[in-house]
Amino acid sequence: MARPGLVGVALRDALADAYDQWLTAALPERSGVALVAVGGLGRRELAPCSDLDLMLLHARGAQEVAAIADAIWYPVWDSRIGLDHSVRTTGQAVSVAAEDLKAMLGLLDLRHVAGDGGLSGELRERTLALWRSTAPKRIGELRELCQGRGQLAGEVGFALEPEIKQGRGGLRDWHALRALAMAQLVDVRDPVRRAGELLLDVRGELQRLNQGADDVLRLQDQQPVAAALGLAGDDGLLRAVNEAGRTISSALDRAWRQIPAEGRRRGRRRPWGGGGLGRQPAAQNVISQDGEIVLAMNADPRTDPVLPLRAARAAAARGEPLAPFTLDRLVSETAPMPEPWPEEARGEFLALLGTGASAVPVLEALDQAGVMSRLFPEWEHVRFAPQRNPVHRFTVERHLMETAAEAAALTAEVRRPDLLLTGALFHDIGKGLPGDHSVAGAELAGPIATRMGFPPDDVRRVVALVRHHLLLVDTATRRDLEDPRTIGIVADSLDGSGELLDELAALSRADAAATGPAAWSSWKARLLAELVARAKAVMTGGELPFEPTELAVSRDRLAAQRERRELAVARGVGDRLVVTAPDVPGLLSATSGVLALHSLEVRSATVVTQGGMAVNSFVATPRFGSYPQLATLRGDLVRALEGSLPLDERLSAKDAAYAGRLAFAGPPPRVLWFDDEATDAIIVEIRASDSFGLLHRLTGALEASKLDIRSAQISTLGRSVVDAFYVTSGDGEINDDLREATTRRLLLAAR
Amino acid sequence: MTRLVTAIIKPFKLDDVKAALEGLGVQGMTVSEVSGFGRQKGHTEVYRGAEYRVDMVPKVRVEVLTDDHQALDIVESIVKAARTGKIGDGKVWVTSVDHMVRVRTGERDTDAL
Repeated sequence: MARPGLVGVALRDALADAYDQWLTAALPERSGVALVAVGGLGRRELAPCSDLDLMLLHARGAQEVAAIADAIWYPVWDSRIGLDHSVRTTGQAVSVAAEDLKAMLGLLDLRHVAGDGGLSGELRERTLALWRSTAPKRIGELRELCQGRGQLAGEVGFALEPEIKQGRGGLRDWHALRALAMAQLVDVRDPVRRAGELLLDVRGELQRLNQGADDVLRLQDQQPVAAALGLAGDDGLLRAVNEAGRTISSALDRAWRQIPAEGRRRGRRRPWGGGGLGRQPAAQNVISQDGEIVLAMNADPRTDPVLPLRAARAAAARGEPLAPFTLDRLVSETAPMPEPWPEEARGEFLALLGTGASAVPVLEALDQAGVMSRLFPEWEHVRFAPQRNPVHRFTVERHLMETAAEAAALTAEVRRPDLLLTGALFHDIGKGLPGDHSVAGAELAGPIATRMGFPPDDVRRVVALVRHHLLLVDTATRRDLEDPRTIGIVADSLDGSGELLDELAALSRADAAATGPAAWSSWKARLLAELVARAKAVMTGGELPFEPTELAVSRDRLAAQRERRELAVARGVGDRLVVTAPDVPGLLSATSGVLALHSLEVRSATVVTQGGMAVNSFVATPRFGSYPQLATLRGDLVRALEGSLPLDERLSAKDAAYAGRLAFAGPPPRVLWFDDEATDAIIVEIRASDSFGLLHRLTGALEASKLDIRSAQISTLGRSVVDAFYVTSGDGEINDDLREATTRRLLLAAR
Repeated sequence: MTRLVTAIIKPFKLDDVKAALEGLGVQGMTVSEVSGFGRQKGHTEVYRGAEYRVDMVPKVRVEVLTDDHQALDIVESIVKAARTGKIGDGKVWVTSVDHMVRVRTGERDTDAL
């Protein structure tokens, strides 16, 4: 463990040898008893923190088995190494394996460690014979086991933090493949073997790094593991792991499909030439046979470039996979697609996307076979591309497929579903290129759409979809929707097209759904809906008047409070909170601090002052549980303003307590100024990593610069936060010096 | 300061533990029947089933309230009495008690011992 140069196979061998030596010493040389390793030690594939799986085999009637067992197990338990143990006769071992599939799989890895070699050999032979004879009948059970496990643990092939052992395409799936190979039902080819070895290497370094048996390759582990294995940076590592996962899972998928077919073919002869059982036409020159999509006898990919798309669409429509040899034929024999695409090609492709969720596995198969890159050269650079924000679940190309699948459910809400689907499939095609990915993507989208045969107006629309795919969500969550300037900017960007607006709204929702559960919320949905409604109103010729925010408190009440210099906290509708107080410096930051202390997450804030009284309205939701008592909030706020509540200390303590394991070092904070996106105000935007009391410190920084805050919009995506403040300066202009000073203060506050 | 000593032991060791505690002058305890498992997953040394299964094994939980001074003596005493040297012997631990009241008389904290 302490030798860093020892990695990969060398490490595994060294661990296995060390354990073997130790265990052999514990068992005296005698006949009738054998110590056998199964599982990881049996395969000589141990990771530094793996458990040992051992079995003490004995001939029937062997004496003192219990004492021998004690002499082996106790030292292992006492050394705190995990141990799975059992004591059996050969017969007992075989019957456990016959009944229990997991035990059977473990036993296939059997390896003699010490004692009577004849006994271990006998068990090995009987196990193998049993497996070979019963495996075909247990395929269904094995498949269920694998699929259930994979569903729970995610996909190694596309996840950004893959579960290397249990995930789909991970080590357990690889073991399943080898078990099938042992029963002579499949071949394990070299690429699959190499994929498995890579995952073992990664797992070894991961466990060594974390000193624990956790098999999830988290973001913060990727750099050190990559360094230990000599792979190019953490992107290189993740890409290699994703590739390995896809290789293993597609090999396993092929196995599932081939094996039952084997079983059946061994039985009856199938009549050639259509009309037989299980053989139906699925599309022109495409047949569905035994639950798989194959090409018809007279199909010729060399003269029919649309054939792959037609087959793919049929596969998705029927929920059946493309047969492996069909896919191979399509890849090697299909003529290149004419440019621009014939209408039939476009139609089939869009119909494929339109099938929704069932299109994803088909697109994946096309992607793995290289068909997607052939049709769209621009696709190649988003394959295996990682995402840097942990809110994403998938690599970029899978995210694009998922977005298109989600968009398929929303086609009824737009006038041009074909443009929506195309925009959805390519919206992030610019990721990984320098600069803003929306802009880069828009530049690629034009040629793509033109190549697909869309007329120029449609091409422009697709380009606009890609260019503005983030516009609505960003605007809705980071800008004041009451300010007509905000709506004006949106309407201008879309050239007043209501149809484009609808398509973008649908695309935004599909994109969020395909990103991950943390990317969307009912709050964001409401904001988006409001933005769309307002934008529509403006586009259809209305003008939205700018009204100062209605005072949330009546004038009389306000006057009475002013008399008494009173501070009041009141609840509004839903999650609204109104704080009325004499307008003193530091009020907004103190209030934000107290709200944070009470675990209230502020989404937006507006400030109105009247005659020396400030009315601060917040939309704040409790992070956990229910809303705190208003009296407590008020009390804390009064003390914070008096200076008797150590706000900063309490907030840092709270932040430290909730920091959790993921000390995710996000990108450094940024401050941006926008001069003409607001009416009578300037917007200063801070992008930073979330922490307790961030809003409190940022408002404090702005107050220190003597800026008046009119409103604040807070938008969170995972651990990243964008806070947009609408500010004015009492003295008029906000000159460059003031900007610089403010920026510095803000960056410090956002640390 | 009142402490709670909790012990999980093998059921047949209860009498030995009781005798040991009486020897220390402990005047009360609570005993419950529980089940559980530890690192060995509830398997005996000669377990014959499938390795990955986890079995629950019956145990007895003994709880004794005491003051600071006696707590460690009680722990040592229980450990000595309950030990067989085989897996499944159990664990003993001590936690702090914030408040205690005798129901009948209302005596509080160490007065209620």
